[in-house]
Amino acid sequence: MAQYDKYDRKTIEELIDGTIDFFKLKEMLSNFKDTDRFDKYISILQERVPWDDPILLPAGLHLYIVQKPDGKRIVKCDCGHEFCEASDNWKLHALIYVRDTEEKMAELYPKMLAQDPEWQVLREYYCPGCATQLEVEAVTPWYPVIKDFEPDIDTFYKEWLKRPLPQAK
Amino acid sequence: MWHTQNLNEKVQEGDEEMKKAAKRNAQILAIDAGGTMTDTFIIDENGDFVVGKAQSTPEDESVGLLNSARDALAYWDTTVEEEFPKLLAGVYSGTAMLNRLVSRKGRRVGLIVNKGMEDFHRMGRAIQAYLGYSYSDRLHLNTHRYDPPLVPRELTRGVTERVDLFGNVVIPLYEHEVEPAVRELLEQDVEAIVISLLHSYKYPHHERKIRDIAKEVMKKVGKEVPVFASVDYYPVRKESHRTNTTIIEAYAADPSRETLIKINNMLKEHGANFDLRVMASHGGTISTRANELARTLVSGPIGGVIGAKYLGEQLGIRNIACSDIGGTSFDMALITQGDLSINTSPDMARLVLSLPLVAMDTVGAGAGSYVRIDPNFKSLTLGPDSAGSRVGVCYPEGGVETVTVTDCHVVLGLINPDNFLGGEVKLYPGRAYEAVKKQIADPLGLSVEDAAYGVIDLLESQLRNYLESMILGKGYSPSQYVCFSYGGGGPLHTAGYTKGLGFEDVLVPAWAAGFSAFGCGAADFEYRYDKTLDINVNDGAADDIKLKAGKELQAAWDELKEKVAAEFEKSQFSRKDVDFRLYFRMQYQGQLNDLEIEAPIEAFKDVNDWDELVNAFEDTYTRVYAKAAKSPELGYSITGAIVRGIVEVPKPKIPVEPLAGETPPQEAFLGKRNVYWKGEWIKADIWEMEKLKPGNKIAGFSIIESPATTFVVPIGFETYLDQHRIFHLKEI
Repeated sequence: MAQYDKYDRKTIEELIDGTIDFFKLKEMLSNFKDTDRFDKYISILQERVPWDDPILLPAGLHLYIVQKPDGKRIVKCDCGHEFCEASDNWKLHALIYVRDTEEKMAELYPKMLAQDPEWQVLREYYCPGCATQLEVEAVTPWYPVIKDFEPDIDTFYKEWLKRPLPQAK
Repeated sequence: MWHTQNLNEKVQEGDEEMKKAAKRNAQILAIDAGGTMTDTFIIDENGDFVVGKAQSTPEDESVGLLNSARDALAYWDTTVEEEFPKLLAGVYSGTAMLNRLVSRKGRRVGLIVNKGMEDFHRMGRAIQAYLGYSYSDRLHLNTHRYDPPLVPRELTRGVTERVDLFGNVVIPLYEHEVEPAVRELLEQDVEAIVISLLHSYKYPHHERKIRDIAKEVMKKVGKEVPVFASVDYYPVRKESHRTNTTIIEAYAADPSRETLIKINNMLKEHGANFDLRVMASHGGTISTRANELARTLVSGPIGGVIGAKYLGEQLGIRNIACSDIGGTSFDMALITQGDLSINTSPDMARLVLSLPLVAMDTVGAGAGSYVRIDPNFKSLTLGPDSAGSRVGVCYPEGGVETVTVTDCHVVLGLINPDNFLGGEVKLYPGRAYEAVKKQIADPLGLSVEDAAYGVIDLLESQLRNYLESMILGKGYSPSQYVCFSYGGGGPLHTAGYTKGLGFEDVLVPAWAAGFSAFGCGAADFEYRYDKTLDINVNDGAADDIKLKAGKELQAAWDELKEKVAAEFEKSQFSRKDVDFRLYFRMQYQGQLNDLEIEAPIEAFKDVNDWDELVNAFEDTYTRVYAKAAKSPELGYSITGAIVRGIVEVPKPKIPVEPLAGETPPQEAFLGKRNVYWKGEWIKADIWEMEKLKPGNKIAGFSIIESPATTFVVPIGFETYLDQHRIFHLKEI
């Protein structure tokens, strides 16, 4: 339906960069989703990364699930660093910094405004390739590393997008 | 307000012969000054009215108003100079103040609050982040947004003091902190100062002390700006509401007073002998000199409810369900036992306020509502946004591309495309047909007619649900009410949205499209003041406790009566001209909702009066909830005192015409038109509303047309026009 393909590339770029005007964003949020949003969004991301592996899905800020020529689906950073297969948890392959003392918390928060590290710690995940902070978890100290999400990529392409997955050349 | 655009034609056509014979006697002037157009309604002694339009002139509103009045009177072949001296009353309602608020173009206001509480105004209430949103957006947190505060943090100062919720002073006022706060604000060039302290409605002295010190400081500094202490305006609970309202008073309302005075002067220069009154949120009109002017912020949509109340009083109808369909929304309100219900903490312009507002339920479904197919689930959706005055795809000048409800009316043949708004707006059925086909019918696999009929059916069943749930939700049943249907789009759907609800009667005034303006002209000259109280009396309390409670209530009434009397004095009405009506709010102790009740006593004198108050409360409680829900064992709380003062003012007359027979005159019959209804094309009788005579009966399927509205009588219904030119719609 043509009427929902109404946002130009620039608007979607502003949406990705977070520079979009609030009232424009509100209008987009309150309407039915534009039918070609996913394609426009992915093509912008693809254009911005320095490598050629086709992006199947974004997997967080700076992270993507990409299709490799050998058929594998890999979690990859902007910088090109490849973490692991999409079925695995990329966090287990990242650099991890745990804030679990008052001193470490005091680097971020004013006195008395930080969490008690006996009860909650901050786990920061960094890319080994470019040192970008990719994710932060606020969890009880013993809590297992969280796997953020497990997308069913095959069903998404087949039943929602109704087309085959892109193939790596 | 596109639906009122061409009422002139009605008057012109309907009274062609009268116009030559009789001279007009203009009596009431009602002004609706919108952002782009200023409408004037002038009503004569026979209840006939004429509408004028002119471009609004925001820099001096009186110019646009005068042009608009000239335009209106031209239809009666007369002039402002001739008619203004004959006018008995004039009522203004406008959006200038609201625009000033919404566009944040008010005064630079400074705010003084409790030290440590300087952020509460900019934090606001969480609800302010999604006020005015559709239900789906309310649930969608990412759409929520806080508007910039009326007073920024830099113009807010704290002063140490604390009063608890019982009115006890916990920390005395640190008077030495007031002067530096005021000086700093003055140095920042504030144009007004608002003072709002926690629980000041229980203990007004601190706010007033700050106010007086501020005035002294200003004298010393040699820079005087107005000071607004919240207790002098809105001595009620809930500091966000009270503070917002007092700020609006300083920020937008007080500057608007100048405009109103200018208009009043202009009217006087042209021979008017009355003081202009302004429509206020509580459903009455007030003087331009009123202390609390912020309540004139809202006015437009409540006009119809006031008109319904007035019409009900004239016709002896006590319980009315009001329903109004305009271009963008469906507004409902209940009048029970002759009284409007009042919402004491409404919201306007995305701010919570402590103004009394005529309670109305509004949903975003009107004749201009967009119709879409949800691309994911292939279901039909209506609104919540609308094309408003741009009508629909069938009106090329509007530039609308999405199908609207009006497009569906055109496809079905319910609207005459050549006589929409008196033929001034030409509609193209072909465009509507193509758009409904492409956007609705084809994706759903339906014929164009079935798709359009489905849209109307969905709209009407939604409206029916809203109306029924509003009445049931307040504890009443539709069978106790007479439904009034008005607004440009109302009569088109009246049969559809009242079907099967079992209203006692369904009324459509022939002047449905101009009903809101009629209502403004019919409003009382009335002040209403509220005060929060916390008086608790246990079940079976001793007489001295009841007596003390009653005295406290009486003291509040006396205080409010003084305020009301002082307002009327500004308009040269003495206390004996004022009809004072006393109200109180009561609840069972510990329950959450109170009820507003008219006091059955004229003054509290002894213990028996307490029992009278309790009985009145329990009667209302039984009516609203259930007899079995009465809980006297909890004891009683009086949560507020209210005084309304009313003085007599001239109001529009309801037309009375002699009854003719049941058979409509032949000249009213305009012919037949094809209408698609429930799966087939049928021939509908088309009637001209103005030519029908009182006493006439018309059976379905009929369409009664007037330039400003279209009244549909489907199969299974019949309508009867009474001697007041009101149609009664009956299911047979």
